[in-house]
Amino acid sequence: MMKKAVSIHVGDGAAIPSKKDRGLLSAWWISFIGALAVIIYLCLTRPDPYLDILKFLPDGILVTFQVTVYSIFLALILGLITGLGRLSRNKAFNLVASTYVEIVRGIPLLVQLFYIYYALGKFSIFSDLPPLAAAVIAMAICYGAYMGEVFRAGIDSIDNGQTEAARSLGFNRFQTMFLVILPQAWRTILPPVGNEFIALLKDSSLVSILAVADILRRGREFASESFYYFEAFTMVALVYLIITLVLSKAVSHMEHKLNYYERN
Amino acid sequence: MNETNPIICIENVYKYFGTLKALDNISLDVNQGEKVVIIGPSGSGKSTLLRSINRLESINQGRISVDGLDVNAPENNINAIRQELGMVFQNFNLFPHKTVLQNLTMAPMRLKKIPAAEAEKTGMSLLTKVGIPDKAHVYPAMLSGGQQQRVAIARALAMNPKIMLFDEPTSALDPEMIGEVLDVMVKLAREGMTMVVVTHEMGFAKEVADRVIFMDGGLIVEQGTPEHFFENPEHPRTKQFLSQIL
Repeated sequence: MMKKAVSIHVGDGAAIPSKKDRGLLSAWWISFIGALAVIIYLCLTRPDPYLDILKFLPDGILVTFQVTVYSIFLALILGLITGLGRLSRNKAFNLVASTYVEIVRGIPLLVQLFYIYYALGKFSIFSDLPPLAAAVIAMAICYGAYMGEVFRAGIDSIDNGQTEAARSLGFNRFQTMFLVILPQAWRTILPPVGNEFIALLKDSSLVSILAVADILRRGREFASESFYYFEAFTMVALVYLIITLVLSKAVSHMEHKLNYYERN
Repeated sequence: MNETNPIICIENVYKYFGTLKALDNISLDVNQGEKVVIIGPSGSGKSTLLRSINRLESINQGRISVDGLDVNAPENNINAIRQELGMVFQNFNLFPHKTVLQNLTMAPMRLKKIPAAEAEKTGMSLLTKVGIPDKAHVYPAMLSGGQQQRVAIARALAMNPKIMLFDEPTSALDPEMIGEVLDVMVKLAREGMTMVVVTHEMGFAKEVADRVIFMDGGLIVEQGTPEHFFENPEHPRTKQFLSQIL
């Protein structure tokens, strides 16, 4: 009665494993065990350079997570506002939100990054913007627009009867949204948000161009000093793969947990 | 039952859906304690009329007031007016992310600032009244349709409303569950609640209604006591409808 079938496909994060994929012969386990095995094998058989690379990357992992977490946090706030705007009956609010989404979706993320870091540097308030802050702002603005669509679809997926029931009890629009609609929409929103988080983490490798020392940047630094290009980028790829696989598994578990009131 | 203090006043109300006239110059007063049952074929405007009383539907023309307050006037706080109007929907519309008891306590706690302990006590006594105190701590998805609808009635009652509006409360139920919901509604009627009920349950109308209203094509075609209505209907359209449904 309250479930319209909704699937939201916005970003291109790693596939969230379905609940049935528990066996060792699932794509997830093959990739995960395989990546781990390759890393261990390489580090044991050729510690120089593989183990050295692996020791060189953790600083970058930290930066990658920093960029990702800050960006997703801002993007969630922007996305909620944008999603509410897209559904708002207030024409001005609606138009601003829709225009923001339209503009951001039409400009490649790399161009947005360059624009905020280099182009806006022309103006004095932006000229001292540290690369990390510029990266976070650009990623948040970009993903906020996508997140807006996720929120919009999630809110839209809740049966109108829920709104009517809440309003008829005397809740105002705001209370209805935050007490009744969003707590339910969250279940529709979370899996794509998880996907967006993973997509953002991967896209965050673009910030290495702004001299932010993330995983990719660290790998490049190692490679350009040692000329172990193949080895460095192999490890970089494997590290990204393991991180995204673990995250996609985590999202799948959270999604399962969030269904508590339909199962128990 | 013939007190002359109407608690709901509907005066010359028009409502259009595009070019369709959903309500065509409807006027109707409901007195305190009165039980009004609205019947009619689907698309006759009966649900639209009920929903316009608590402004779930806006109207194009006319005036609807509840307890003296115009529900469509911008200066009146509709959220406060709605607290006096309990509403029960065809599809129950319980909050699935809250337990049964939380469904009952949420509005009183948030809107009337009633302390949790007191709201839960009231909630439990209402659940006892509708016959399912043992389901207080489960989620609505665990309940049958009849149980869900009884919880929905209790949820509306938890706000201690002056009037209860029922929008086809048994239409989504399996036949064997209709009785348990009607029993609760009959009990409520006996206690003197003012009720406006849109339904197809003629047995309920006969037993409980002070007045039966027959609507068709956005118009009130005929109204009267259940005796008049079911035994001596005057209008040919009413006779035709009754012969189809009985």
